[in-house]
Amino acid sequence: MSEVFLEAKGVSKTFVGVKALDNVDLTIGKGEIHCLIGENGSGKSTLIKIIGGVYKADSGSVLIEGRELHEHGIQAIESIRAGVQIIYQDLSLFPNLTVAENISINQMLETNQQGVNWKTVRSSAKKALEEIGEEIDLDERVENLSVAKKQIIAISRALTQNAKLIIMDEATSAITKEEVDHLFSIILKLKERGISILFVSHKLSEVFEISENITIIRDGKKVGVYPTSELDYEKLVFIMTGRKLEYAPYIYNEEMKEDVPLLSVEGLNKEFQFSDINFTLQKGEILGITGLIGSGRTEIAQAIFGLNKPNSGTIKLKGKTVHISSPEDAISHGIALLPEDRHHQGLFEAQAIGDNIVITVLKKLLAGLNLISPLKKQTEGDNWIKKLSIKTPSGATPVNSLSGGNQQRVVLAKWLATEPEVFILDGPTIGIDIGSKHTIHEIIRDLAEKGMGIIMISDEIQEILDNCNRVLLMSKGRIIKEIEDSRTTTEEELYDIVTRNYEVEAGA
Amino acid sequence: MNLKKLTKKNETYLLLIVIVFSIVINTINPVFMTVENIFDLLRSSSGTAILAIGVFVVLLSGGIDVSCTAIAICGQYIAINVLIASGVDNIVMAFLISISVGLALGAVNAVFISIFNLPTLITTLGTSSLFHGLLLEFVGTKAVNVGNIPDSIKAFGKMNILTIARPDGTEYGLSIFFLILVIVVVVTWLILKFTMIGRGIYAIGGNREAAQRTGYNIRKIQFFTYCYAGLLAGVMGVMHLALIRYSNPNYIVGTELNIIAAVVLGGTRISGGTGTLTGTLIGVALITILQKNLVLIGLSSYWQEFFIGMIIVLGVTITYAQNKINARRKLSIDSV
Repeated sequence: MSEVFLEAKGVSKTFVGVKALDNVDLTIGKGEIHCLIGENGSGKSTLIKIIGGVYKADSGSVLIEGRELHEHGIQAIESIRAGVQIIYQDLSLFPNLTVAENISINQMLETNQQGVNWKTVRSSAKKALEEIGEEIDLDERVENLSVAKKQIIAISRALTQNAKLIIMDEATSAITKEEVDHLFSIILKLKERGISILFVSHKLSEVFEISENITIIRDGKKVGVYPTSELDYEKLVFIMTGRKLEYAPYIYNEEMKEDVPLLSVEGLNKEFQFSDINFTLQKGEILGITGLIGSGRTEIAQAIFGLNKPNSGTIKLKGKTVHISSPEDAISHGIALLPEDRHHQGLFEAQAIGDNIVITVLKKLLAGLNLISPLKKQTEGDNWIKKLSIKTPSGATPVNSLSGGNQQRVVLAKWLATEPEVFILDGPTIGIDIGSKHTIHEIIRDLAEKGMGIIMISDEIQEILDNCNRVLLMSKGRIIKEIEDSRTTTEEELYDIVTRNYEVEAGA
Repeated sequence: MNLKKLTKKNETYLLLIVIVFSIVINTINPVFMTVENIFDLLRSSSGTAILAIGVFVVLLSGGIDVSCTAIAICGQYIAINVLIASGVDNIVMAFLISISVGLALGAVNAVFISIFNLPTLITTLGTSSLFHGLLLEFVGTKAVNVGNIPDSIKAFGKMNILTIARPDGTEYGLSIFFLILVIVVVVTWLILKFTMIGRGIYAIGGNREAAQRTGYNIRKIQFFTYCYAGLLAGVMGVMHLALIRYSNPNYIVGTELNIIAAVVLGGTRISGGTGTLTGTLIGVALITILQKNLVLIGLSSYWQEFFIGMIIVLGVTITYAQNKINARRKLSIDSV
């Protein structure tokens, strides 16, 4: 390794009795792309915040270019002046302000000026964008930009403050594969300029693509630092989770196939969103739908669930045409939808786990005088907590105290309680770490094996291939290819089809 | 500015509504579009506009202030009582007292909101009652009649910055109230556009957490915001007094929702961070035309509320429909 830029030695931190970090070391060289990886709750964020001067470490030290940081109490500004810039997952941008102002705002505050010189604002924003070879309309409001563009704004803003180390926290969680590639090209440019990057992630494939060295932490402890070239996927998963995870392809039991499919969608159309959508779903199938963000996947799921009225087309259940104009209709026809955004669409986060689960089946819980029976409610909730092994002391605990994986199980439970025949899962493992991901996949497979028809929508082609027997590829609102047997294809092949098609259409 | 950008702006539609309304009223009663009537409208609405600008700044910062009217009447009623009691007959004094009261009460809001971090709506609802209650209990409940109003205030109410003679030799003019409004508009614009504290108001309204991380002093900005709104309410209090030459401690209070409606109608987002001064002024213009000129077309003043309600519903519908169309367009290009 070349010259060392940052060195964290023996950092420990305890929050109300919970040891978040235990004697963790981290070394980043000048111009190095370093990756910090670990499951949710492993202590990644805590470590970043200690480096950034947001939290104070209980013990240990952080040195930048050999000088100790935060010797005299913590101060975020000290880290910033030493050249550390953190780009948080939410990007900390101002949606209502222009691109120019968003980029220059830190610099303006730093110089402690009282007035605003708009010429300087624009010129320094322009300069920062030019440094990474980007061109974005300076007068556009940030709220009108895509997540990927917003990220570029956040990086440019970091550059206005003479960043020497840019820490990116889960930078790729909301952008498409293509945009990830673009982001990586920017990261390489930064590296050329001698800027170090700490890339914090739990998406393994990306980590392999971009990083030079990987520090792995688990349960607040550093479990190793490796040159990326010495690791492979399986080894990394093993080190990260402490166990071996294996996937056998999901094989559809042909005996379950019936003459009339469970669900068939014919000629579904919606202006600006999707067109000419035809597909069927059999009992016991896991049908994967994938494609880039914006390909219309989510919109179709919402159309089937009655949340997005299509302009034309029919939906048939067991051969009978059904009219679904609301989620109530969908539920009564045995359709369930696990939404893409668990936090906003899937859960009442501040409410109890039990209350969240029974919300879909309140009618079943009615007793005398048509009032909800507390006993029935309790039994139903506890039943599901047990069935899906949700880790909680009781059903009365609020959902937001659970980990991502357990929260998603609550959403699953809530829909399984309605006893659906068709279950649409839109991004079932978004933001869930790899260990819990696996158990969610197991639950899904188990449901399919028992005869439920499942549609799984995901960005991650690997996830689709691992778990679905049949795959639909979408691009720009159309189904561009159907793969009858997912065992006959590879991730590269599918990715290739999806992006090629995208480029052709975009170029036309 | 090109045409395409104009069609996206809320202000454009609002201005169109104002124009259409004016034309309709004018065809029924041509008195409406006379210079005299317009001058009169400007005189009677300048105070409201200043109060609305205070509310606008608070909304921008992501808060809301329903106590502005209570502050205005406190400023006015305390000023007139002090003037009468002390025998000082001076308009500058009246402004000084009213503005000081406004600043002080604004600072009370600011302390609760910025230091104790309380929700703004509940806080200002509370302080509104508190201020008004204290005023009635300790300063008085009796109205001050025109005969007791100091001459300097009456003179100020009649002061014009531009005078035009009527054919019959009498005169009318553009009130000094309008000049005060222009000054307030320019000062507010300068603060919002060219000072770090002004940009901070936009920043905390847009993303409070990010503002904090960036290093903005949120307390300072909020403190400034509520004091500024209080100051403007103080200014309005004296203007209102000079306008109607009568002071009743129960006036002004109760009109805060109309003022907030005017600001929101002008395109300022109630959730904070977005809005323009131009929009606010057009919003006030629309509400004023409805309030003052329905009589001109022969409708009883009871129709006022109906029309104001209608305009608010219509205005919100337009904004909502526009957002929906924009969102649908976006979905087809890039769904995130």
